[in-house]
Amino acid sequence: MLGATYGLIALGYTMVYGIIQLINFAHGEIFMVGAFGGLTAYRYWLPGSLAGNVWVALPFVLLVAIGVAVAVAVLVERLAYRPLRNAPRLAPLITAIGVSIFLQEMVRLFYPGGKRQQPFPQLISSGTFAVGGVTVAWVSVFVVVVAVALMVGLQVFVKTTRTGKAMRATSQDPESARLMGIDIDRVIVVTFVLGAALAAVAGVMQGMRFAQIDFRIGFLAGLKAFTAAVLGGIGNLTGAVLGGFLLGIVEALATQYVPHGSSWKDVWAFVMLIGVLVVRPGGLLGERVATRA
Amino acid sequence: MRLDRPSGVALPAAGAAALVAGSLSPWATFAGFPGKMSLGGFPGGARLFCLLLVAGSALFVVDTGGRRRAALAAALGAVAVVGLNLVALVDQGGGLGGPAWGAWLSLAGAGLLAAGAWRLPAGRAAAPDDWPARPASVEVAAVAVGLLALLGAVVWGLAINESSRFVSFLVFVGFTCAALHHLGLFTWLTVLFARRQRMAVALGGAAAVAFPFTQQGNAYWIRVFASIGVFAVAAIGLNVVVGLAGLLDLGYVAFFGVGAYVGALLANASLTTVHVHVPFLAVVLLGGCVAAVFGLVIGAPTLRLRGDYLAIVTLGFGEIFRITANNWDGLTRGPNGISGVPDLAAGGFNFGAAHSLFGVTLPGFANYYFVELALIAAAIVVFTRLNDSRIGRAWVAIREDEVAAAASGIDTIRLKLLAFAIGAFMAGCAGTVNAHLTTQVSPDSYTFLESILLVAAVVLGGMGTVPGALLGSTALFVLPEKLRSFQDKRLLLFGAALVLLMRFRPEGLVPSRRRRREFRDDAPAPAP
Repeated sequence: MLGATYGLIALGYTMVYGIIQLINFAHGEIFMVGAFGGLTAYRYWLPGSLAGNVWVALPFVLLVAIGVAVAVAVLVERLAYRPLRNAPRLAPLITAIGVSIFLQEMVRLFYPGGKRQQPFPQLISSGTFAVGGVTVAWVSVFVVVVAVALMVGLQVFVKTTRTGKAMRATSQDPESARLMGIDIDRVIVVTFVLGAALAAVAGVMQGMRFAQIDFRIGFLAGLKAFTAAVLGGIGNLTGAVLGGFLLGIVEALATQYVPHGSSWKDVWAFVMLIGVLVVRPGGLLGERVATRA
Repeated sequence: MRLDRPSGVALPAAGAAALVAGSLSPWATFAGFPGKMSLGGFPGGARLFCLLLVAGSALFVVDTGGRRRAALAAALGAVAVVGLNLVALVDQGGGLGGPAWGAWLSLAGAGLLAAGAWRLPAGRAAAPDDWPARPASVEVAAVAVGLLALLGAVVWGLAINESSRFVSFLVFVGFTCAALHHLGLFTWLTVLFARRQRMAVALGGAAAVAFPFTQQGNAYWIRVFASIGVFAVAAIGLNVVVGLAGLLDLGYVAFFGVGAYVGALLANASLTTVHVHVPFLAVVLLGGCVAAVFGLVIGAPTLRLRGDYLAIVTLGFGEIFRITANNWDGLTRGPNGISGVPDLAAGGFNFGAAHSLFGVTLPGFANYYFVELALIAAAIVVFTRLNDSRIGRAWVAIREDEVAAAASGIDTIRLKLLAFAIGAFMAGCAGTVNAHLTTQVSPDSYTFLESILLVAAVVLGGMGTVPGALLGSTALFVLPEKLRSFQDKRLLLFGAALVLLMRFRPEGLVPSRRRRREFRDDAPAPAP
């Protein structure tokens, strides 16, 4: 389930990187903002009588989370990244770090109670069921099912629709794509929107899994998701999903079976990242690309 | 009376008179606002800044290049100072009853000045001819006065304790600099500094040495500046990596931490795991070397990667360092860290104690401050010599286009490793001193945010220049100290500032000429 969350966030990284070669450092924060958007929807906007009804509450929370995250992502793209489209590469990367710190602090300072951990509602009953001696929580089933559905949906979108085709064209060669009459700005916005929507869903899922969220969750999750994206080969959608699941599994196993594993929990992602980059810089599913000057 | 005709000098004259009168009148209806604002007859508090900015109105009668923009900057500075204080007065005085008539009069005066400046003819921009070459003695004096003004501004600013007044001061300095910039003063000074480089460096060093003597035995700011010194050495080291070689290192603070742990472990601290004491000079070099070895170990596998990957991998290494320091109880004492690091001592000279020199008592931190100055001087020498050497040019080539550099016969991997190791060495040296200065070392001092602060210092000041690194680290340290009442929103402002800086001045405050040209097409070409 951890893997599913990483995979969803990693898709956002991979898409943005594939199109404008930017490591969108603030993407982890979009994930966090999405989680808080969902929390707001549940806590303040949902009428109390409906809060217990899964079929109303869950879609509502997800939709609001997506809406908030998408709005923030589009604003960030418009105000912070677009003016730097042709600047040297260091500039947008530092901007992204600035945006990331800014968003974290916005939530910490201005969300009611944002300085502490916030309890996240358990929208799905915390029940479990057993399959052949293994106990499985319903939440986990939900998380995996939704994640897989979204990933398949994204694949279909990118492979079959006109916009998806435009996205693929832009990522291959922005200049030629522009000459073919593709509105690059629009494609980039669509990319940010899709990434933000997936991250928001991941944020809500994370909240439901751990029953609490705080303004810091974006940093580590973003970092690990980026690792997942690199693991699978950045720019490659299937690779991002694969990398996410792989990372989640390795982390879970290492925490369980390596002595003192839990205090080193956050190290495994980086160790894997470095390992993969040294052995196979293109990632597991990445093709060899010529170095672009 | 015809209102449609420009009123020439009358409008700004009235404005200047109103601003002077307003600055000498009470601004507050209640006591307790910084600068005795409720009393008239003298320009206390922020009113002094307004009075000084009135000098800008002399530009209405003197014709010189860039005068419209300069006059506008001075007038807007006055508007901003009065406006900010009005907001503060309304806030603290409980509504519109807070500010007194003097404040409104000043606002009107500043507004008239701004309107007058707006109506000035656009005129020409400041040209080098406005500041003709003078005899050598005048040039030398100008360099000296420029540096004295810098030292004076720093001392003056540090003496201001109230946040609101300090903000006014910052606004005042900012707009004054803008006005002088439009008059071409800074361009002229830059040329002078370049021509009289040795003297400027010597005078700058003298000003830095003189600083502790201006504090009358007060340890606070000397302590802050000693911390800045540590930070500045690290920033210069990072500048080698980021500014010269163009490798974005987001885990740089790990090298600093390695140095600090080496320094703390070898100093026989009271709470430590290793009970040995090694002479300090050896420890500094050893700390640097250990950090450099770490740099090589980290760099060897990762420097083959392209820029953005490198950023993330170094970030990962930074986190690994922190988590390791946190978990390795046997050596680093885990989250408790190593504390009770003793003060430095060399041949009976205790660095922690106060000493008296020329009749001025210098607190213990001044000794560390001088150690830092020596370290900074060494770092500057290394930096500039490298920059001017074949190695420095190779780094620049790698930064601009790695493929082309490799094709031109540059051994890119080796040179990138060298940059990494040198940067790590400097950070390690700074770390050992920091262990003594703060007397303790613990993992939570070496977080990702610290790395970002260092990168921000380099970027803010200007990548690839020494004054930039110094200025950036000073600004990032002093501002939070001064703006204590915004403490909670410090990071928020920091994040926003990073974004705005990249948007509007990506080359930093003191850009190297080459970089400035990279970001702006209209910048003059660097001298061949």
